[in-house]
Amino acid sequence: MTDQPSKKQTPSENVSVTPPPRLTSDLLDLPGPLESIETYFENGWSDGLPVVPPTPEAVTAMLEAANLNPDAILGIEPVKGAVITAEKAAINAVMAGCKPEYMPVVAAAVDAITQPEFNLHGITVSTMGAAIMVIVNGPITSDIEMNSGVSAFGPGYRANATIGRAVRLIVMNVLGTRSNDGLDKATLGHPGKYTWCVAENEEKLPESWSPLHVTRGINESESAVTVVSGLSATQFGEHEANTPEGILDAFAQRLYPMGPGVKQVILVICPEHAAHFTKAGWKKEQVGQYLYENSTKLTSEWIAMGLPSGAQKDSSAEPSTENSDLPISVLDSPESAIPIVVGGDGGAWSAVIPPWSLGSRSKVVTRPISTNR
Amino acid sequence: MTSNASENTFRVLDPTAQQSIATDGMAERPQSLKGMRVGLLRNDKLNSEPLLDAIYDVLADRFEVATAYRINKGDASRPAEPDLLSDFSNEVDVALLANGD
Repeated sequence: MTDQPSKKQTPSENVSVTPPPRLTSDLLDLPGPLESIETYFENGWSDGLPVVPPTPEAVTAMLEAANLNPDAILGIEPVKGAVITAEKAAINAVMAGCKPEYMPVVAAAVDAITQPEFNLHGITVSTMGAAIMVIVNGPITSDIEMNSGVSAFGPGYRANATIGRAVRLIVMNVLGTRSNDGLDKATLGHPGKYTWCVAENEEKLPESWSPLHVTRGINESESAVTVVSGLSATQFGEHEANTPEGILDAFAQRLYPMGPGVKQVILVICPEHAAHFTKAGWKKEQVGQYLYENSTKLTSEWIAMGLPSGAQKDSSAEPSTENSDLPISVLDSPESAIPIVVGGDGGAWSAVIPPWSLGSRSKVVTRPISTNR
Repeated sequence: MTSNASENTFRVLDPTAQQSIATDGMAERPQSLKGMRVGLLRNDKLNSEPLLDAIYDVLADRFEVATAYRINKGDASRPAEPDLLSDFSNEVDVALLANGD
């Protein structure tokens, strides 16, 4: 581009005197879309990738698709008291590349991340650097063509890519949690901070298993989002085990490095592994029960591993040298395991999503998606 | 880019929000630290306690401060509870905070 803006453009420098009806955000008048993209880069309003310029028309369409008034409050971040309005969420959703029909999911995700138990401020400013994983369940996943199958965590599907990106842009732009000049102080960061959104592969759930949102109290006919503060996923292959016990033992090997007493952890079970749970007639709740009872180490073994360690030490079941033969489970309780089924048919690759702060200070939150407000 | 307003016909919206922040101003600074009760508010991380203690030792050595009053807010990722801060403020004249990873 040859005619990029030569200096930072701010609303105060270039404000229209007549904002369109309903919307109250400051307007910038610029020569065209390409100049807008550059201006948003320069103003620090991007995640490092080009954004779709949020025109009033596009933002209005986004709000109308979710039947939201611009001034509707979707969530209030509890620590700073920062308000996230539907208008600001919609602007950032347009910038992320969302279609209007994705807006109900974005709105529900904002509702979820601003629940006090999610501890949004803590997870977004922490040096531990968690990202927000958004898991979508229910009929809307097929309506908006979300990917839950082959390469579900990978690129190529607009809904997955842009809903997750919208959540991050909202956190950056509305709450000021940017990594370059804002409150994000992560030591390493996380690729999921660009986007991290997936649908559960409900068709591949083992027989008798409920989808995640139903397990967490939402009606099966409804759609819902579940948000998780996750560190980088630990993927593993287990191509030999053909029983639930063998597969869960493989999961346990990836849980042990977190240390004892993990309070909540997402277990991503691929369809090939899930099929073995159907074959064995396992119920969903048996997963957590088996791991809690069998994934243990003696106190002396935990201590030898140097666990728990560092910042996690205060939030875990802390081993004592006085009873070194006492077995301590890697899980705090059977309910600490939260299984989901995701991925394509081929390949026995599952994953653990290690939780921020061992799941003790940020809880998994599920909220319904309202398509008819 | 030539910044001619009449050529700027593409309108876009500001994605940021100016949050209202209540400002109470700074507490009055003491003229001297001599005899001051020093509050040490740690954030529950492992190294916050030795860090604060080390600073207190320096203060005690150089400024003849009074005894230290130590509390732990109990969760590094959340603000201290109001009751805890209220009690803390009643017990101290000056305060130090530390984030000790």
